[in-house]
Parts: sequence; structure tokens; C-alpha cells
Amino acid sequence: MSNKVAIIASNGGLFDAYKVFNIATAAAATEKEVAIFFTFEGLNLIHKQGMQQLPMPEGREHFAEGFAKANVPSIPELVEMAQDMGVKFIGCQMTMDVMGLTKEDFIDGIEVGGAVTFLEFAKDAAPTLTF
Amino acid sequence: MSIKVDVKLDCKGLACPMPIVKTKKAMNDVESGQILEVQATDKGSIADLKAWSESVGHQYIGTKEHDGVLLHYIRKSGDDHEAEKKFEQTITNEEVIDRASNGGIILDVREEAEYAFGHIEGSRSIPMGELENRLDELDKDQEIYVICRTGTRSDLAAQKLAEKGFTKVVNVLPGMSSWNDDLTKKI
Repeated sequence: MSNKVAIIASNGGLFDAYKVFNIATAAAATEKEVAIFFTFEGLNLIHKQGMQQLPMPEGREHFAEGFAKANVPSIPELVEMAQDMGVKFIGCQMTMDVMGLTKEDFIDGIEVGGAVTFLEFAKDAAPTLTF
Repeated sequence: MSIKVDVKLDCKGLACPMPIVKTKKAMNDVESGQILEVQATDKGSIADLKAWSESVGHQYIGTKEHDGVLLHYIRKSGDDHEAEKKFEQTITNEEVIDRASNGGIILDVREEAEYAFGHIEGSRSIPMGELENRLDELDKDQEIYVICRTGTRSDLAAQKLAEKGFTKVVNVLPGMSSWNDDLTKKI
């Protein structure tokens, strides 16, 4: 059985962030080796400012109350937890170049790499998930 | 009734994935063979903690609800899977009920939580770790059929009893993990 979980984060909304980081932290807590490849809008999820105010999908803003009521941790909290448990964050170099972003625009502790960096990790991972 | 545990973890009010994340961390402070009680209100934690335990290799014992709080019981995996069994007098699960009904007793040496979530009706509970201090509760001349989950703790308990002068001690194999008859609960 594979002990790796590979995740591609390619969307930048709040719901996307929860899907990515909940699965990632749960997998890490289950003693899996986890890597997340952040590409295109997914880079929002680890952008220093962007991650603080990720948008809800249009028309779903009323969910904010539900999040508070269910006592769901904030995205920055989940990100910190994930990093504490050894989840590896890989930012996509090509997208960063396109968007004019550098490693300094992102939270500490990320790696920057290309598609092959992720593929190398994911080649023996099961499952590989895309959000 | 309340169940004796070694470590308690409060996850009340926390949503997924927090109960799992906190349980994982709490397990670091639990010793092999000890029982962790996870208190949670997230209903998803019932399925999640069971799956987590199986995935990581710990023993999920069961869950009960008390005043709207879910109490999950997990035993940290020990080294009791492959240890060699040394006690020579043994019988099988299938034989034990008949044999014990002729004046003998079935002594269950698993932890209290394991016993609470399913044991043979009429069996006595004395956890392995308490046995030495509770020998006076047992009769040296009575037949004692010692059982646990996989036969390892009961093997050690049987050796201990024989060493202390109990003469009619028998280890029951393979143990409660393969028990197919009825079980009694006490939760």
C-alpha cells in the first residue's frame, strides 16, 4: 500500500482551500507522506495576503455563518497545522512567473518547482487528488 | 458507567479534521497497550476515528454517547501481536464455555474498556496490569481460564498466576479477537 498522498490545488476559493487542507491534514495525521502542488489560482491558498481572505463562491456568502458555528479552523490555522505535520508545499514555478510572483510572496517553508517535481513525488502515491 | 482509561483528550466542539489531528498528537503521550478516551461532538468522528485507528494500526474498541458527547476508546497498538506464547496449558475458544461451566472461571485480562465493549457472559475482569495486586480475589484451587484479545497478555497472566501458586490455570487461544459467540456489553 502506498504511504503517499499527492494533491494538486488549482483553484483559489475558500471552499477549495478547505477541501485541500482538510484532506492534507487528515492524511498527515494518518501517517501519510503528503505533498500539495499549488498551481494557477491554487497559489492563492499559500499567498501571504491572499490566504487571509479567500473568497466564497458567489451567492454562497451566507455559509460564513455556518463555518463559524461549526467551529471550523481558519485556513491559516490549517496551513500551519499541515506544515507542522510535515506536509510538503510545492509552488508551481511557471504559474509564479506568469503572475509575476516570487517565493517571498508566499508563506515560509514552501518549495518551488515544476511539474516534474510533483510528478516525481506522485509517481508512487495513492491517491492523487485534484482540487 | 464510566470506563477507566489512561489518557483523556477533549475534542468537544471541534470540527473535522481536528479530532483526528489532535488524536494523532495525543497518541504520542500514550504508552503501548494503554487506553485513550477521545471526547468529541463531531458526529463524523465515529467513522473517522475507527478508520484512522485501523489505518494507523491501533485498536479501536468502541464509542458510547454520554450527555451528547461521543466517547471513543482506542488502545495504542502494543507488541502483543507476534510475541511467542510460552504457557503450556491451553484450550481453544470453542472449548472454554463447556470447560468453565464445571466450576471454573473465565478470567478476562484485557483493559476495562475492552471488556466493557464486549465480553463472554459470566467472565471476570481483572486487567493484566492489576493482576498482581488483585490475586486475593482469585481462588488457588479453582480452574482459571485466562483470556485476552490475541492470547499474548493471557499467556503472561497465566505464567504470573502459575508462579504465584495457582495450579489449575489454562490459557484460552486464540482469544476474543476470534470470538464468534454472543458477547455481553457493559457500557
